[in-house]
Amino acid sequence: MIKNLLLPNRYKWLGWCLLLPGLIAGIIITATDYEANWLSMRMFSIANQDLLGFARYFTFTKVNFTGTLAGILILVGGMLVAFSREKQEDEFIDRLRLSSLMWAVVVNYVLLLLALLFVYGMSFFHVMVYNMFTVLLIFIARFNYLLYKNNKTAPDEK
Amino acid sequence: MKNKIKVERAIKGVTQEELAQAVAVSRQTIIAMEANKYVPSTVLALKVARFFDKKVEELFILEDTD
Repeated sequence: MIKNLLLPNRYKWLGWCLLLPGLIAGIIITATDYEANWLSMRMFSIANQDLLGFARYFTFTKVNFTGTLAGILILVGGMLVAFSREKQEDEFIDRLRLSSLMWAVVVNYVLLLLALLFVYGMSFFHVMVYNMFTVLLIFIARFNYLLYKNNKTAPDEK
Repeated sequence: MKNKIKVERAIKGVTQEELAQAVAVSRQTIIAMEANKYVPSTVLALKVARFFDKKVEELFILEDTD
């Protein structure tokens, strides 16, 4: 049988260890606009447009890496959590994973559609920031909920 | 599709976990199959049938809605 491309189960823990700090940092950063001084650095940028609309391409720019770092933690951690094998991966778990992924994409775009309709200005910018991560996060939540629910439906019966 | 896995399991006196191990799937898969929430692949259906020494048709039965 052809197996899906998934990482070994041990990467799931590593994923959680990156995802949770990333999420906590992300929430603090968006709530307080915190920027760590020691994360100010020069960084290569492919495109960099300032607020006045002046754009530069393929340059080095001085940036603060705080938000970027939190985003990277969430994305890398989230991907590891989402795409590592379960302890016992089989065809049913596989199907749960795929249906959760589809569910997450649908829910995400329905939410985005509502936001597109009812959220404007800088608030919509925030929506777009959250939306970078919501597919992954909704998927992880849905998949783990289904695993939990299915495990609970029949307690240890003979 | 209905199946008689639960009945056959009771007759043979094996737990979900033992059956799961014998056919190399998780216990969740056995739970889902017994609850008619999951239609197994042909490979898994054949393995389960072999475990109970039955024909696939004796274990898995088509319904009118199928």
